[in-house]
Parts: sequence; structure tokens; C-alpha cells
Amino acid sequence: MINKVDYQIELDQIRVALGYDFMSLALAEPAEYDYVIRWKYASGNTNDRYKRIVLQSGRGIAGIVFKTGKPFLIPSVQKDVKPDTLFNYPITKMENLNSIGAVPVWNDARVAGVLLGGFRGERQVTAEMLRDLDRAARKGIGDLNGKELLLS
Amino acid sequence: MTPGMDLRSLLMTKLFENSSEAMFFFDRQGKALALNPAAENIVDQDILKQLYQGNPEALCGTCRGYTSETELRTCLNCYFHTPDSEEFTSYQVYLETKDKGIVPYAATFHTIDDENGIRVFMLRDLSRQFTTQEKFYQNKMMKHIIEAQENERKRISRELHDSVAQELMSAVIDLRVLKYMTADEQLLKKVKQTEVSMTRLLNDIRNLSVELRPAALDDFGLEAAFRSHFKRMEQSYGLIIEYESRLLDKRYESEIETVMYRVCQEAVLNALKYAQVDSVKVSLTENDGVLRLLIKDEGTGFIQGGEPNGTGLGLFGMQERAELVGGTFTVDSGIGRGTTILLQVPVGLSRGKE
Repeated sequence: MINKVDYQIELDQIRVALGYDFMSLALAEPAEYDYVIRWKYASGNTNDRYKRIVLQSGRGIAGIVFKTGKPFLIPSVQKDVKPDTLFNYPITKMENLNSIGAVPVWNDARVAGVLLGGFRGERQVTAEMLRDLDRAARKGIGDLNGKELLLS
Repeated sequence: MTPGMDLRSLLMTKLFENSSEAMFFFDRQGKALALNPAAENIVDQDILKQLYQGNPEALCGTCRGYTSETELRTCLNCYFHTPDSEEFTSYQVYLETKDKGIVPYAATFHTIDDENGIRVFMLRDLSRQFTTQEKFYQNKMMKHIIEAQENERKRISRELHDSVAQELMSAVIDLRVLKYMTADEQLLKKVKQTEVSMTRLLNDIRNLSVELRPAALDDFGLEAAFRSHFKRMEQSYGLIIEYESRLLDKRYESEIETVMYRVCQEAVLNALKYAQVDSVKVSLTENDGVLRLLIKDEGTGFIQGGEPNGTGLGLFGMQERAELVGGTFTVDSGIGRGTTILLQVPVGLSRGKE
């Protein structure tokens, strides 16, 4: 396993390169922790609350991306999310994000992590930016190789 | 006339004039002979005129049917045409009143003068008793619904926990054993991936089971259920719950435990959703036979009775649940003051038996 610092530095670099206010990476825990998914690294975060959260597969942003393996985009949390469903996306609330995009991080044809980028102010994540985010994830992060297909 | 008779007729006159009970006197043909003021008050002017003119159908203008043995409201076998039958010594009738709409009355209809065929129709307003009765009924229904819901949840939750999760668990263990049976790297990698997915699935099923109804609540009581619920809240939402408890008993009646748990669940979820806080204080104590649950946050608060952020049904639901076990439920909140929710339920000896 590559140590912690590498992921953090890589994440910081991706955030600077793509210009997001906030960026985080969710990874599965090792067997001792039942392989639960957590937001392991964050860049541009305002607090450490994200570390407490255990994500459930199929729930929340990371959960959905993890399960479906598809990118996920909320251009404006204010406009696109009904207030009563807002709590399905706790990270938006914790980090006060108004626009988010998330993509799967592949490893050997399995979703191994979720990369999320978001803005706090008026700026919105566009479909094009989501594609850039996806491209970054497909280059691989840390020891995840980013490959969706084993043959490629 | 004897003084006794004098007094009696005086009393009867007073009764006629001042009684809150409506009285209608009819002759053999169904013509109204007299109506006391209470009766005149409930009948429409137009119908009043018809009654005095002797239209035998006049009463139908205001009557909306009576409750027979088989129907709630019917005109079948009208009481008006068959006085002095057993059925009509005391029965329920609905009248369209002048200013209160359709009102239920307890009625009697009987002959008081056989010779001249004079009959009296007396009515007593039942709407107050009706509302109370309805409230009781609603309460009872609500209790049944909640009970049914909890039972069903308990059943499904048990099934998931005891059978589905167990089976899956043994499958996961079988998979783990595989790695001692082969050295094939590729196969092991695949098996590992499967194991990861299945472990995650197992966790999902456990979560589902606990969310439906925590087995801890039935098996170990409030204390255990609260602690595991708070841990889950922290894991799912990053919300820290400062919990303290001083309980004299380990277990309470299942009904009370359920109410406590559900109210707490709802209140904490509300704090999480609307109060903009990342910590909530919960305390559970028992004092003088009263179980007290206090949930306090220092968040944004809200205006009570104002336009709700959510459905507004949560508070109502908590109130309902509290009432079911004879408890009291109070909310104290204001903009910028945070919110305090207090649930008090009598337990043990002081608990009123129904």
C-alpha cells in the first residue's frame, strides 16, 4: 500500500489543476473495517467532519457512484435538490458546497474509489468539467490504476 | 287546584321554556302543537312555519335520518310513523340545524297522551360527546396502526438479521476458506473482489435491519439501542451526540421503549436536518416514576407554529406517540435559541392503567 501522503499530495495537485474549491477522495477500508467506504482524503476542506462519515453503498453521492460506476453531477444544490432530500448528500451540507461532480476511480475493472469536486460559491460544475474530472480519475490515483477494462 | 299541582305545572312550564333539551309536541296527524325555545332555535324559520301549519312531512325538512341497528343513517322505518316501538325509546338522530350544520342528537319519541294521540319528540345535543368519542377512536386506531407498523418492522428486521444475514455470513466465510485451497493468484484476486462485494452487501442488509427496527431495542433495551443508534448517526452523518443516562431500570414496557426510541430518533434527525449543528445533547433519566428524554441542540431554532421547513408532520407524530403511552411532549424553540425537546412518560406504579 502506498502511504497516506501520496494520495493527499496527488489530490491537492488535481484540485489545483482543475480549479475546484473542494475535492475529496472516498476509498474502501481494508478487511478489518469490513471494506466500508469513507471519505479518506480531502483538499480545501473547512473541517474534518467528513472523516467521521461511513458511506453506505447506494446512498449519498459516493454511494451512488460506487454502486453504479457512473459520473454524478449536481450543477446547483440549491436548484436541483429538493430541501427534503438534501440530507441524502451530507457532504454538501458539511462543506457547504453548492455545486458538485463525482466520478468513479477504477482499479482492475472495479470501482475502488470516488473522486468528488465541488464549488461553494456561484460557480458550477459543468458537463465538460465532469469529463475532465473523469479523465483525471482514469489516469489513476495512488495505487489505483484507473482502468475500467482489464484489457485496456 | 292543590298547591302541589301548582308547583308541578310551574316546574313543567319552566322546563318547557328553559330546558336545553329540544321538545316538539305533535298531535295524531303529525301537526306540531308546540315547540319549546330550544327546539325553535335549531329549526329553520321556513320549516318552523310548515311544522305549525301541520305538514306531516315538515320534520323531514330538517331530519337527516336516524341510526338504526343496521345503518348509521337511514330513513327506513321512520321513527315518526311508528312511535312507541321498543326501538325508539332512545335512539340517535341527525338534524340539519339552523346554524351548526348536521348535528347528532340523542332522541326519544313517545306518546304522552293516548286519548288525543299527543306525542313528544325530545332531543339532546350529542356533538360534544361525539367529538370526544371520535378522538378516542382516532387515538385507538393510531395506536393500532403504530403497533402494527412496529410489529411488521420487527418481523422483517428479524428475518433479515437472523436468516438472510446469517446465510450470507456463512457464504463469506466459505469464500475466505478458498484462499487456503488454491495458489492461483488470478483466482484469488477474483475471489477477494467477490468477498469484498459480499461483505458490503452483508453490511447493507444489517443496516437495513437496524434501520427498520434495532434488534437491540427488543433484546437489550433503551440504553443499548440508543448507544448504537448514536454511533450510527455519527458514522452516517458525522453528527456527534453527547449522551448521558441515569436509569433505575434496565427494561421498561416494550411500548414505552418504542415510543422513547422513535421520538429520540425523530428529534435527533430533525436537529441534524434543520438546526445546522454538528452536535446534539441527549439525556435520558428516570425520576419519581417518570422517564425523561431531553434532546437539546444549540442550532438555528425555529418559530413554533410557523411555516415548517419539512412536512411539519414530525412534531405531530412525536406528540401522537407520546400521547399513546400517557406521556407529555414539549418543544421549546426560537430563532437563534436552539431547540429543546422534552418527553416525559410515567413508568412503574404511577402509570395510570387504562
